[in-house]
Amino acid sequence: MIDAVAMTNERNQLFRDLFSGKTPKRVPVSNPATQDFAIQYAGLDLAECQWDLTKLEPVYDKFCQDFFTDTYPGGSIRIPSHYQLLGSTPIVMSSSGFMQHPEVVGLLAEEYDEFIASPYDCIVEKVLPRLFTELNGAPGKVAMSLAKAMRAQSDDLAYLGTIRAKMNAKYGYAGMVGALTEAPFDFMADFLRSFKGISGDVRRYPDKVAAACDAVLPLLVKKGTLPNPSMLGYTFIPLHMAPYLRDKDFATLYWPTFKKLVETMAGMGQNVQLFVEQDWMRYLDYLYELPENTIMRFEYGDAKLVKEKLGKKHIISGFYPITLLQTGTKQQCIDKAKELMDILAPGGKYWFQADKSVINFEAKGPVAENMSAVLEYVHENGTY
Amino acid sequence: MIDLKVLTQAVGDLDEKTILSMINDFVATNPSGEDAQKVVLACQQGMAIVGELFETNEYYVGDLIFAGELLSKTIDLLKPVLSGVASQKIGSIVIGTVQGDLHDIGKNIFGSMAEAAGFDVYDLGIDVSPSAFVEKVKEVKPQIIGMSGVLTLAIDSMKNTVKALNEAGLRDSVKIIIGGNPVNEDACKQIGADDFTTNAAEGLKTCQGWVK
Repeated sequence: MIDAVAMTNERNQLFRDLFSGKTPKRVPVSNPATQDFAIQYAGLDLAECQWDLTKLEPVYDKFCQDFFTDTYPGGSIRIPSHYQLLGSTPIVMSSSGFMQHPEVVGLLAEEYDEFIASPYDCIVEKVLPRLFTELNGAPGKVAMSLAKAMRAQSDDLAYLGTIRAKMNAKYGYAGMVGALTEAPFDFMADFLRSFKGISGDVRRYPDKVAAACDAVLPLLVKKGTLPNPSMLGYTFIPLHMAPYLRDKDFATLYWPTFKKLVETMAGMGQNVQLFVEQDWMRYLDYLYELPENTIMRFEYGDAKLVKEKLGKKHIISGFYPITLLQTGTKQQCIDKAKELMDILAPGGKYWFQADKSVINFEAKGPVAENMSAVLEYVHENGTY
Repeated sequence: MIDLKVLTQAVGDLDEKTILSMINDFVATNPSGEDAQKVVLACQQGMAIVGELFETNEYYVGDLIFAGELLSKTIDLLKPVLSGVASQKIGSIVIGTVQGDLHDIGKNIFGSMAEAAGFDVYDLGIDVSPSAFVEKVKEVKPQIIGMSGVLTLAIDSMKNTVKALNEAGLRDSVKIIIGGNPVNEDACKQIGADDFTTNAAEGLKTCQGWVK
């Protein structure tokens, strides 16, 4: 019988040590797979299960049973019910059941001045009705749609929360809380101007882009604030657009408000985890400037160089290439984990996570077996 | 007469104001279709400069997207004076974001660069099923298929698409290139594609090599 409470305490200590810059007892491990994977792994239909969450408890139980992890393997979850009720265009389900974020335009170029003057009003009055079809119409109808969607979301979250509590009680995971926000430039690109739109704006009216990032920063600070900053947990910030910008555009348009965002979070006593997406190797000197013990999960790059440049000040994670789980042998997958641990673990400040999330499961494929072997390997060999 | 060298350089510099004013002035002179073709060629040469600057890390993906937007604006302005002129195509490509994946930014960049380089591009859009690829290949008989994806599940969809092409007896009639975040050499082998890329300019060179 596992003593789940003792395990939770032990794991909480691993992360308290990690986040405060002390070397933990062993390398903390997070399962890179998400709920999407778990549903398919249990042999169930991905779309159906996301609509009917009552099917998920055995799904999570099997998922938790079969794959070692120190944190609850829920991943970031986009529940379809409230998106559907709102007529969402920025988050939609594809034919295979995966919730995704296609290219959308929430704010027109000619609306920049209005946005800069009052971002919140502009989001409520212009952006939301454009992005969510059910929020565009007569006020009474909009109010009903919003009420239905929020009710559905709160029911779904409560249900998932119950499953999480049961799994935590059974498997003894670290009790972490999380909040999510975006760098101001990324928010402008992802939900307001689109990738294509912002790429033109950077050349056509860079001053407006900079002013908009400044204007929206307080909202994004609020969005990323934890209920109580002293809690064990972090604000998660997935980074998107920087690798696609020229150095000078990054320096003037992306970096200043992003740095302020992270500094504000750290100043409030919160940990920050960056998901450093795509290739940031040319920005390592910038990343160094962020507050001590910022958690940086890398998707690409030279792990050795990152450890050397950032590893004494910041907490490094990521790099493990999940495509190897699809294409490699079990031994190759384990060797890769060893290689990364040899580089990143010495001196502490390392958290084992993969470069991306594993969202897809093919019954005949090797991913489940390889992933399980890698997680076990890191668990057993990560002792300091 | 329009100074084609200046135009080529303006496209390379992504100098929107100069490009649009030159093209507008040119169209206003009611030029022959033949002269309009020369202007298109000058723009294509400008796009080649953009591709080079991308490869030398002076431009990044955002610049390629902007370049694509400028080029399609330019072609739209030129269309009235281009009509009736047979354009020379160097080959044809069917592209699409594979089944289950809705991400199309990379595919669109590649598509606009391939068009600029003189390919006939048939874009099937996003979340494209293997059978939709097969049907389009039967219809237009391209030399090349370009499959794109961002999510790791795209690898499985690409595999299924190659399998469907095999079953339809079409695999040997085309070259297949895959592109996007999750692709690499191992994935390429497993999928049974001919080549892979995570860089639109490099992918275009591969395709140009195939139709030489």
